[in-house]
Amino acid sequence: MKALVVHAHPDPDSFSHALLERVVAGLESAGHDVAVLDLYAVDYSAAMSCSEHLAYSSSEPILDPVVAHHAEQLRSCDILVFVYPTWWSSYPAILKGWIERTLVPGVAFDIDEESGKLKPLLSRIERLVGVTTHGSPRWYVKLINDNGRRTMTRTLRACTGLRVKTTWLAMYELDARSPTRRQRFLERVQLTMGKV
Amino acid sequence: MNNVLLVHAHPNPDSFSHELRRRVENGIRSGGAAVRVRDLYAESFDPRLTLAERRSHLEPPSAKSHLQTYFEDLTWCDTIVFVHPTWWGSQPAMLKGWIDRVWVRGVAWELPEGARRLQPSLRNVRRLVTVTTHGSSRLVNTLQGAPGKRIVNRSLRAICHPLCRTEWIAMYRCDTAERSDREAFLERVETTLLKLSR
Repeated sequence: MKALVVHAHPDPDSFSHALLERVVAGLESAGHDVAVLDLYAVDYSAAMSCSEHLAYSSSEPILDPVVAHHAEQLRSCDILVFVYPTWWSSYPAILKGWIERTLVPGVAFDIDEESGKLKPLLSRIERLVGVTTHGSPRWYVKLINDNGRRTMTRTLRACTGLRVKTTWLAMYELDARSPTRRQRFLERVQLTMGKV
Repeated sequence: MNNVLLVHAHPNPDSFSHELRRRVENGIRSGGAAVRVRDLYAESFDPRLTLAERRSHLEPPSAKSHLQTYFEDLTWCDTIVFVHPTWWGSQPAMLKGWIDRVWVRGVAWELPEGARRLQPSLRNVRRLVTVTTHGSSRLVNTLQGAPGKRIVNRSLRAICHPLCRTEWIAMYRCDTAERSDREAFLERVETTLLKLSR
């Protein structure tokens, strides 16, 4: 199957990058065809522009060839993976911007003119995976936010259909964790991705 | 409300969001409060936290002097008003990036040795107001868990004044709304902000 891994961290030496490598290794060991989209590495422009906003509801909402390429990759993947650090209980802006600019009408969904209902167009995707790190403890994340997870497993599901499976791998209190704990999480990520 | 920081994010100057922002500003000024406006698109703010900013994430704000005027906004105000459309359940990347880059250690929070969570520094901020528009219904937003509302009213509020109050002023089903509904919402927004600023 085809997997698209979207990554968002500015530092190539970060723990997030190490996670990305494990995700790719795991998916490849399971025999998947993996494409990586490292948003910072390709200097992705995060904010939807005025002309893109104006074109949003038109028949051709994509103006940037980079976005067109990402949309093509998104439409042809079976597994979609986000790897990112959780900042302010949600995605880094660059990843949020990628969702906004890529998942446009005609790519991710269509809106039925009569009923106004949303029709999913990403029904090819069979699995959504989130791999993230939090500075806060688990109880705190669960109690007050966990917005990245909510957005992926609830809002994005509107575009994939409800039968999609989701896998969520999160490490909490990253800053306080020992190297052994980090290593264990890396191994768990690779192992889980190898079974997807 | 005496010193209001108004942060706005919408790419199109002819949008309904811009009308909202004008009405918000009118309301605040008529109420007699001082206001600083940050129109993030107009000033071409880059929402991407940089590698250097990430690496100096635990250092004092002087390590990020290029963002100094944004830090001053945060320490000056007693109220923050966000005006933005809700996209995919939360703030547009432009506004999320302003939070990622500007709410830094030494300005918004501290992390003393051994602490497991951020300690609040923005005790000057006593009110957080959001004015937003949603394409979907209130029900759909509730089922999705309202991530945008949680980011501001929970995560950001946690590092403001302990008694910081929050206001969430939202218009749902905005895309299919009649002009009269929009007018009514604009009125409601201006009146609410006027009342809060007195």
